[in-house]
Order: sequence, then C-alpha cells, then structure tokens
Amino acid sequence: MIDQAGVVGSVRRGMIPAHIYNDEQVFALEKERVFGRAWMFVAHESEIPEAGDYVVRRVLDDSFIVVRDEKGEIHAHFNMCLHRGMQVCRAEMGNASHFRCPYHGWSYRNDGRIVGLPFHRDAYGGEAGFQRKDRRLLPAPNIDSCNGMIFISLDDEPPSLRDYLGDFTFYLDYYTRQSPSGIELRGPQRWRVKANWKIGAENFAGDMYHTPQTHTSVVEIGLFREPKAEKRRDGATYWAGNGGGTTYKLPPGDLEERLRYVGYPDEMIARMSREWSAEQRAVVGRDGFMISAASVFPNLSFVHNWPRVEDSEDVVPFISVRQWQPISHDETEVLSWFAVDAEAPEEFKRLSYKAYLMCFGSTGMFEQDDVENWVSLTSTAAGSMARRLALNSRMGLLEDDTELVPALPSERFSGPGTARVGYSEHNQRELLRRWADHIEQPMPKAAGEWTEAER
Amino acid sequence: MTDASTHSSRSVLGGHAPREQRQGSTLPFGDERHLRAHQWLVDEAYLLDEQAYTQWLELLTDDIHYLMPVRVTTAQATGFDTAPGAAHFDENKYSLARRVARFGTEHAWTEDPPSRLRHHITNVRTFATGDDDHLIVDSGVLLFRSRGDVREPSLVSAGREDLLRRESGGWRLARRTILVDESVIRMQNLAIFL
Repeated sequence: MIDQAGVVGSVRRGMIPAHIYNDEQVFALEKERVFGRAWMFVAHESEIPEAGDYVVRRVLDDSFIVVRDEKGEIHAHFNMCLHRGMQVCRAEMGNASHFRCPYHGWSYRNDGRIVGLPFHRDAYGGEAGFQRKDRRLLPAPNIDSCNGMIFISLDDEPPSLRDYLGDFTFYLDYYTRQSPSGIELRGPQRWRVKANWKIGAENFAGDMYHTPQTHTSVVEIGLFREPKAEKRRDGATYWAGNGGGTTYKLPPGDLEERLRYVGYPDEMIARMSREWSAEQRAVVGRDGFMISAASVFPNLSFVHNWPRVEDSEDVVPFISVRQWQPISHDETEVLSWFAVDAEAPEEFKRLSYKAYLMCFGSTGMFEQDDVENWVSLTSTAAGSMARRLALNSRMGLLEDDTELVPALPSERFSGPGTARVGYSEHNQRELLRRWADHIEQPMPKAAGEWTEAER
Repeated sequence: MTDASTHSSRSVLGGHAPREQRQGSTLPFGDERHLRAHQWLVDEAYLLDEQAYTQWLELLTDDIHYLMPVRVTTAQATGFDTAPGAAHFDENKYSLARRVARFGTEHAWTEDPPSRLRHHITNVRTFATGDDDHLIVDSGVLLFRSRGDVREPSLVSAGREDLLRRESGGWRLARRTILVDESVIRMQNLAIFL
C-alpha cells in the first residue's frame, strides 16, 4: 500500500514523491477521488450546433454521448443500452434523432428517452412487464456549462460549476469569450502518450521556467518576432479559484495597442473591449499582461500564443483547448482542439489555425518537445529509486516557506486571485494541493451505488 | 476509397493547392511512368528514414500542399470520416521549411537522440492526369519508429495520394494527402513525415 499520509504531506510541502507519476495504486485513488468528484470538460456547444448533433467523449472508463436534443437542450447520456449493456452509439460524432442498439434493437430518442423495444408486447407483456415511460439512458449525474464549455461531474452533490471554477472564470473569458458569440472548437486531434496525466496539467498551469530550455528551437527558427524565451521571467503567473496560468509582459501601450501587438485585427479588438469587464481590460491595457498557458484542476488546459505564420514580421494569435485524459497510471490521451472566436474574420480564423498547427497539437513544434520530456519523466518514475526521491517543486519559496517574490498588489494586477512576477512553481503547487485534498478524502457511498446487502 | 484530392480542396489551408486529378484506370506496372513514380517514392522513403529533411525539402514544389486530416469514426451513412476543419498537418512550403529548420537546430529535443525510422511503402499504383507533367500516385505507408533502447516502438499506418509534377527535368511532390488509419494516433508526437 502507498503511504497516503506521507505522500499528501510531502506534496503539500512542495516535495513531490516521484512515484506519483507512475503508480497503479495512486491512479486507482485518482480515479475514485479526483475523477469521481471533479467537473470534467467533455465538449463545447459549438461542436454540436444543430439538433441531433452529437460527439462521444470518454471520462476515464465511461463513454458519454454528448448530444443536442430536438429542443436544443444538451445531454450527456451514458453510452450503454439499458438491456444488455451494448454501446448504443459506436461513432465518434454525427447527427441522429435516435440511437438504436445494434444488439437487440432497443432504441432511444436523442434526449435519452427509450422509444422502441422490439416485440414489447410478446416479450415483456407490454407496459405491464417493462414500463417504457420515463425510462432513459443513464444520464451523467451532473451536467453544466460555462461560456459554452460543457462539463460533467460524477459526484452526487458537487458544487455548482461556477463555484467549482471560482474566479478562474475571469481568465476563462480571455480564451472563450472574445465576443458575445464565444468560441468555436475544431478537432480534437487525439493521440496517446506514455506519460502521466498530471504532468501536462502542471506544465500548462505554471511552468514558464521550462520555456527557455525546452523551446529553444522554436525561437531559433524565427517563429517569434522577438527572442521571447527569456522574456518569461517578466510575465505574471496567477492562481484564481480552481485554475491558474501564465502570462507574458507586453511592451508599453494601451489595450488596443497591446491586442494589436499580439496580432488581433481591430474589429476583434473592438468586440473584446465591449465584451470584457473593466478589470479584464485592465489586466491587459493597464497592467500589460497577456494570457498564455493555463490549467483548470484536474486535467483541462488552455494555451494562447502569437507566432509568425508566414515570412513576414506579422504575428497571429491562436488558442488551443486541451484535455489530458488519463488512460492508466502511465498513459494519457491528449485531446487538443483549435479554438477561435466565432465572430472572427474568416481570414483570421485561417491564419490562427495555421499558427495553432505549427505550434501545438500532434504536430506542433512546441508540443513535440514537451511530450518527449513527459514520457521520459514517467518512465523514470516507475522504479524503486523513484520511491526514494521527492522532486523539488518549491521554486519561489525559501527554506522557511517565505515567498521569494510577494504577490502583486491590486495596483499592478487587476485580476482576481494571487499573481506574482518571476519564475516560481506556486501554480504547480496549487494544482497538486487540490490533488492532495481529493486523494486523502474518502468517497461517501454514491446514491446510485449498491450496498453489499443490496447485491 | 474516397478521392483523396477532395480532402485537399476542402481543407482549411489548401486554397493554394494544385488541383490536378487522376484520369482513367491504373497504369500498367510495366509502364515507364509507373516505374518512375514508384522509384521516386522509394527514394523519398530512404530520405525520410535518414531524416535527410533538407534534401527532402528540395523534392517539394513551391506550391506544395501537405495534408493529413484527422480521421474520425462515423456511421456508414454520414458521408465523411475526417473531422471537419481539423488536420494533423495542413502545410505549405513555408511551414514545412520551418519544421525542417527546427530539426536542423541543436535543440529539437524530441529527435535528439534521433528515432530509428523505417517507412515501408507498398501497394503503389500510378494514374495519368490531364497532362504529361503530372502523375497521381497512391501508396500505403507503414512507419516503424523506435526511440531509446527499451521503449515500446510505435507504428503509423496510412494511405497516401501524391501528385507528382515534372519540373526542370526532375519530378517533385506538389500535393500529398495522408489518410491515417487511426482516429487516435498511437505515437507520442508526429515529429516525423509520412
């Protein structure tokens, strides 16, 4: 058995027992206590714009059909026939008014209600034997959305999604609400890496320290207007609610000039100016910080960057939404979407997509080197020596826990939460602290679960 | 098989792509044009195995469109099996040249130490087009990639449709559509070319 109290205590001190990145027992606890509770992203409303549109998404071992019904309401049905348990939908995406089980032909409306049961009278004696009314595919226990991002939670009584995200929603708007129409998502590219899921989430939450080393090559080939790898030190990292991220410090200017500097066309800038609150505008326009990577606990991340996409001085910003979907203790499926404001001009969408493909995703020149590191870390964490090593994740803290750099006062950072300038691992610690809180908290018996006596 | 060239014309970044299409049935395997096209693919595969990407880049036309759509599982009647508007690669000469330049730096960690690569090319067939300077070539490719000493090797299987163009005496690749046979790629990244 793992020394749960020891692991949790060490994590809280910022000393991370290396084996938690490759340990079946730890993963078993994570499945139950982290992924059994958290709100998890499954799809964006723009992926299923029309009635009947659906995508099939997994949350660990469970498959869900995320579908828009004929009235426009969005559901997440557990993809298992009520009769013999066959998957009622075996495609990844499409449009359907009904899902029919291929095994015995039970069929369900896209809102989940059972509609067809072959030989209902002969086989069951009709409604007297099997009452079809109110029977439906098992729904995800909780479903909610924020800025079109659809989340589900398997917990019986989770906090509301808004409460769960907390003040991170302030920052979520930069990625997903640049106009009243919000974003549209394309993809995802999906690929599997032999790396533990936590590593990507930690990296995107706050690892500005890796950029100058890991991503030297993309600077060397002129993908950026300036040698920005060294500039990461000047950016702020923030943690707010259940998420946090990194920013870049921009050259002097006001909101318009700074958004123009990262490549947004004027009509998009005008919409952002109208859509964002005074504080949201001030983080960019007054304080000079532009969002870069971010993570929401446990495994959802974002990235915003602005490379060159042609042989010119111009840069083009892009946004990616990504999920680190755990497959096992040492394997993760990466789902990486390209996201763009739905009201953006077509030419901007095209170039922004190109910027995304060059930098992130399965072929992205940033991501290629990240994954190499994470695979190597995971494989090294498997052995007995890793059980003797606690990785130092205390950057930004002195031995006596004094913070190296104080949090920015509100005169220098207008956003909620805590923000600091300079290299640190505050955000990675925040993320893993939440992980520790979940890991040590046993699950109460879920309402839908059977007790031993009922079996 | 869907006509792969329609993927190129429908793709987000394929506006510049040449549009030549195949005409007629497969050229006989003894046909001079087929022999030339087949040899071109085999010679290219050796360059890709060796990661001789600067030489490889010289084999591409300036208007190259290099496309690898994201494949998705859909019902038979859906009429598409690629994710709308999403690709793994949707490249022109500039972005391919940046990728090659990156491998040329001393800091492309994902390929240092380099992978051992073997591109197995098979099922090659050639079609004429409307003019003698363009050929369409279909092929299957199975890429074996091994990294380090004990890591599990990884495979990518795909079908390709290539448009070859005769330019100043030599044949160059003007369009490639890679239809990967998996929806979820089982490789840590695509820091390779197919």
